[in-house]
Amino acid sequence: MFQPATELMMTTQPLLLLENIRKSFGAIEALRDVSFSVGRGEVVALLGDNGAGKSTLVKMISGGLEPSGGRILFDGEERTFRSPLEAKNAGIETVYQDLSLCTNVDVVANFFMGREITKKVFGIPVLDEKTMAERTAKAISDAGTRIPSLKVNVEHLSGGQRQAIELNRFVYFGGKLVLLDEPFAALGVEQTRRGLEMIRRVSDQGIGVIIITHIMQQAFMVADRIVVLRQGTVAGDVATSKTNLDDVIQMITGENIANLSAYQRKEGLPRTV
Amino acid sequence: MFVSRQMATIDFALDNLVWLILLVVLVVFSITIPNYFQIGIFANIVEQSTFVGTMAIGLSLIIIAGNIDLSVESTLALAAMVTGLLFATRGAGMGFAFTPEWLVIPISLAVALLVGAAVGATNAFFVVKLQMNAFIVTLASFIWVRGLVVAISGGRSAQSLPDSLRFLAIETVFYVPLIAWISIGGFIAFASILNRMPFGRHIRMIGGNKVATFRAGIKIDRLTTITFIMAGAIAGLAGWLLALRTSGATANLGTGMLFQAFAAVVIGGVSLQGGVGSLSGVYAGVLLLSSINTAINLMGMPAHFTQIIHGGLVLVAMLLDTLKTHIRARMI
Repeated sequence: MFQPATELMMTTQPLLLLENIRKSFGAIEALRDVSFSVGRGEVVALLGDNGAGKSTLVKMISGGLEPSGGRILFDGEERTFRSPLEAKNAGIETVYQDLSLCTNVDVVANFFMGREITKKVFGIPVLDEKTMAERTAKAISDAGTRIPSLKVNVEHLSGGQRQAIELNRFVYFGGKLVLLDEPFAALGVEQTRRGLEMIRRVSDQGIGVIIITHIMQQAFMVADRIVVLRQGTVAGDVATSKTNLDDVIQMITGENIANLSAYQRKEGLPRTV
Repeated sequence: MFVSRQMATIDFALDNLVWLILLVVLVVFSITIPNYFQIGIFANIVEQSTFVGTMAIGLSLIIIAGNIDLSVESTLALAAMVTGLLFATRGAGMGFAFTPEWLVIPISLAVALLVGAAVGATNAFFVVKLQMNAFIVTLASFIWVRGLVVAISGGRSAQSLPDSLRFLAIETVFYVPLIAWISIGGFIAFASILNRMPFGRHIRMIGGNKVATFRAGIKIDRLTTITFIMAGAIAGLAGWLLALRTSGATANLGTGMLFQAFAAVVIGGVSLQGGVGSLSGVYAGVLLLSSINTAINLMGMPAHFTQIIHGGLVLVAMLLDTLKTHIRARMI
């Protein structure tokens, strides 16, 4: 009877809510009063010039730094993550290229890294390769990713395939919020297109995605909402459908678009000072 | 882009290249060297491989886990000397005996393993707890442990281990003495651990990418500590086997074995970068070195040729390693 009400609450409560986050390093204030939220199944692009505070904010969400003030609410509970592992156990993970995979072992070994399935043989825990291979194959094909062989070492796979393994692993082990830091920096056009598609599929499963990028076009292609940081504060928080490139550039640089050169406007580059 | 099955086949061939080389070398020696092709010679090759081989197991584990241990040779000598001092009856030996007599086997083995594990634990303390460079820490151990061997023996040797121990080095099964079977058993056991247990999988992944394993919540410090202790204990086992073989120990026992073990490890396809290699390959590497030693002996060449050839082999092995990496890179 109360089911609908609960459901309503669940859907209105954001997955991640940042309230007046402050971070200072000595006299330097890296972040001031940063507030924004990420909903379930929502893709948020976090933009900002170098030094705007993106990295600091990302580290605070994924458990590398603790805020000096303000609250982080994850899944409706106030949390501070002291280490990346704590954040990971809560369901938050950052996917960096090549930092989360061991290229010297196969896809299955990477998929179950640190969470291997074992069976007892004479009381000794032995890797259950068969079960792990089956589950990896299922998870990867469910996600619509194609990897030639799961028995092949990851060093033979392309950047896009590696990213697919990381994202699928994250989803399989019950991840709720994924942070992607410049995910397509080293990928080709076709791989980037597939990567963007994969992000959509991940978010369709109710997972929140924060994507940090310098490439404005990608943000517009994949994000539901764009959050811009400038000099440690939120300079803009808009739905992608209700804004345009020029407005976003203005939020990033804080300058009127008319002051930018024609070239910078065309390329979507912020003005370098 | 290769088809994955082809890729897997090439991977398999590259991983087992050293067995192919061993086979070719044995065939060539059998054809060209008189008296090489006989069961006694092959049994001797296996027996000779016991000590360097056993030591190479621990060394391989350490290197695959992305570390280094230069102390294993001195650890081997220390374990052999302690075994000699406690249980040998002549020279510096104190000749401890037990009733029933066979008790000396488990007791002397446990002592040798503990001595090795203690050296390994010391290395682990400096490398893991104090974050010191493993190369320097284990180089220091290489020196001080050898010094300890000389110190505890007063430079004297211990001779004549009791028959209840010696029979392991004398009795043969299929022409091969029991101590060599113990070494082979060690290879099989640790190969299984490396390939089939979470511990083995984890140390290989640590050797491949420390950051990734840390982020995956794998306890790197704990596993590195265990690996060092294991390598020490295995070196202790090698020392115990060598003491049984030589029926005692001298202060300079095992000198030069470290580089033979390194040669075997590299020839066997273990990458010094960490994360790559198999114990089966390492055993083939040890057998290859012993086969060449035996050939040199049979041909009546002076023994110093062995060193020149071993040095050359290490270079060839590194060349092969580079070549393999190159082939693999082109397969993508």
